[in-house]
Amino acid sequence: MNLLKKVFIALGSMDRRFIFLLVALSVLFPKLYPDLFTLPIKPSSHSQRVFDEIDTLKENSKVLVSFEYGPSTKPEIHPSAIALLNHLFSKNIKVYAVALWPDGNFMATEAFSQVADKYEKKYGVDYVNLGYKPGGEAVVKGLASDIRTMYTVDLLGNDIDSIEMMKDVTNLLDLDFIFSLSAGYPGSKEWVQFACDPLGIPMSTGCTSIQVTDIIPYVANNQIKGILSGMPGAAEYEQLVRNALDARGVMVEPGKASINMAAQSMAHIVIVLLIILGNITYYLTRKSGKKGGVQ
Amino acid sequence: MFLKRQMPVIIAISVGLFILFGHFINIAPVQQFVNNDATQWFDIIASFAIFLGALNMLKLQVLKVVKKQRNWQYSILAIVGFAFAIFAGFFFRGANYITLSDIDPNNVNQLVEYISTVQEVKDTALMVKGIESSLASYEIPKIFISKSSAEDFAILVSGLAKNVTLGVKPWGAHVQIEGSLFSWMFFKIFTPLSSTMFALLAFFVASASYRAFRIRNFEATLLLVAGIILMIGRVPIGEFIPWWVVSTLIVFGIGALIAPMIPDKKILFGLIVTGIVLSSVLGIIFDWSLAINTPGILSIPNISEWIFDYPTAAGSRAIMIGIALGIIATSFRIILGIERPF
Repeated sequence: MNLLKKVFIALGSMDRRFIFLLVALSVLFPKLYPDLFTLPIKPSSHSQRVFDEIDTLKENSKVLVSFEYGPSTKPEIHPSAIALLNHLFSKNIKVYAVALWPDGNFMATEAFSQVADKYEKKYGVDYVNLGYKPGGEAVVKGLASDIRTMYTVDLLGNDIDSIEMMKDVTNLLDLDFIFSLSAGYPGSKEWVQFACDPLGIPMSTGCTSIQVTDIIPYVANNQIKGILSGMPGAAEYEQLVRNALDARGVMVEPGKASINMAAQSMAHIVIVLLIILGNITYYLTRKSGKKGGVQ
Repeated sequence: MFLKRQMPVIIAISVGLFILFGHFINIAPVQQFVNNDATQWFDIIASFAIFLGALNMLKLQVLKVVKKQRNWQYSILAIVGFAFAIFAGFFFRGANYITLSDIDPNNVNQLVEYISTVQEVKDTALMVKGIESSLASYEIPKIFISKSSAEDFAILVSGLAKNVTLGVKPWGAHVQIEGSLFSWMFFKIFTPLSSTMFALLAFFVASASYRAFRIRNFEATLLLVAGIILMIGRVPIGEFIPWWVVSTLIVFGIGALIAPMIPDKKILFGLIVTGIVLSSVLGIIFDWSLAINTPGILSIPNISEWIFDYPTAAGSRAIMIGIALGIIATSFRIILGIERPF
C-alpha cells in the first residue's frame, strides 16, 4: 500500500514537460494513424437545429455569412464554414459574405475557393464577398439600415451596383438568413443585438467552444437558431451535411473537424486522467502535508 | 483649456443624448441621423482609430529600440514586420495575372498541363470544363508575385491562344487575392505563427488543470465534475461510456453528498452497494444497453448538453443582465459628464 502511495506521490510531482509530451502524443497518434481512431459522430440537438434551419431554406434564398475569426481559431470554425458553404451551394442558395474581423476576409476567400468551383458557382452571380469594415456593431447596424452606406465596392473593388446578385438587396431585411462564424467580439452577439433580433431575421452561429457560454442564452431564447459549438459542433454539422448530400448523390469528403475529433477526444481523455491523478496525489499528500503537483 | 476640457464633454453629452432620444423621435431626418449618419461617423472614427493604433504601436517599438529597453531586440522584428506589411499593402501589389483570349479548343489540355506547373490543379476535368466555357477570354487561375514570372509564363502559353494579356489586380483588391504578396505574408507567416500561439494553449490548459482542479471544497468539486463531464461529453468518445459506469458514478456522488449525515460508515457502505446493485438490476431489466432505452441521465453527452442548456444558460444570463445594468449606469455617467474616460 505504501509503495502504491509513493508511486502516486511521485507521479503527482512529475515534470510539467512530461505532461506536455503526453498531450502532444495524444494528439499526434490519432493524426498519424486515423484508421485506428475512427469514432462515430452523433449530432447534438443544437447542431441538428442549425442543419434543419439551413435545410428548410428554399432555392435562391439569400444568406449572409459573416466571417469573424482568424488563423488562431481557424481549426475550430473553418470546418463549419466549409460545411455551411457545401450545404448552401448544394441547395443553390445565394451567399453574401462580410467580415467584421480583418482576418475574416482571408478566411472567406479561402472558404469560397475551396467550395465554389465544386458546385460551379460564379462570383457575383451565386456568391459575393463584400469584405471587411471596421466598426463592429456600427457596421451591423449600418447593414441593417442600408448596405450601400457601408459598402460601395466589394472585396475585389467592383462597384456593388454592378454585381448582379446585389441588385435587389438594399438592407438585411432583403436576406432570408444570417450565419455568423464567430470567434469573439464583434461577432454573434452583435448580430443578435443590432440586426437579427430587431429586424426578426433568423440566424445561426458557429463559434469557438469557449464562446458557447456567452451565446447559449440567445440560443435558449430562440434568438439564435442552433449553435455549432467549437470543433465538435463543426464535426457534427459536417456529418449531417455529408449524409444529406450523399442522399442527393453529391459526394463530399469527410471534413477536417470530423478527422480531428479523434485527436481532440484523446487529448480530453488524457487531461481528465491527469486531473484524476492530480486529485489522488492531492488526497494522499494533503494529510501528510507534502506538496504534490507539477514542478 | 475650453477646447481641451469643456468641448469634449459638450460633444459627448449632446451626441449621447441625441442618439439616445433619437430612437424615440419619429422624424425622418432624426431617424436618418441615428440609423445611418451616426453609424457612418462611427465607421470613419473606427478607421482612424486603426491608423492611430498602428502609428502608436510603431512609435512604442521604435522608442524601445532607441532606448534599448528590455528585450528591445524583439521590437526590431515587430518594426520589420510592420514595414513589410506596409510595403506589401501600399507600395507593391505583387498581384500580376494573365488573360488568354481566343483559345484554340485543341490546346485546352496543353494549357491545363502548363497551369499545373505553377498551380495545384485539384480537379483537371473541372478546369478543362471551365476553360472550354470561356474560350473567348480566360484568366489563368494563378497570381504571380513578380512581373517577370508572369511574363515567363505568358511566353510559355503564348502559342495556345491568339492574345495573351498581362494585368495587375487593382489597388485594394491585391491584399485579398490569393497568391499576392500580401496574401502570401498572411498565409505563410501570420497564419502559422498565430496558430502556433493558440495551439500552445492546449499544453498550458493540460498543465494548469492538473494543478488547479482539486477537490478542495463543495464548489470546487462541482466545478471539477462539470468540467470533466463537458470535456468527455462534447467529444465522440463520450458516447462510448456505458450506462452502468454513469449510474455507478451517480450512486457514488449521492453517497458523497449524504456521507456527512450518516456517521456509521458500514451503513453508508451498505447504502452505496445497494444503490449500485439496484441500478444495475434496473438496467438489465429495462435493457439500458440499447441506446434507445438508456435514460438521458445515464448518457454523458446528454448530461453535458443539459449543463449547457440550463445551469450555463442561467449563469450566463445573470452575468449578462449584470453587465447590461453596468453599461446603462456607465453610459449615463458619460452622457451626463460625470465620468470622462475620453
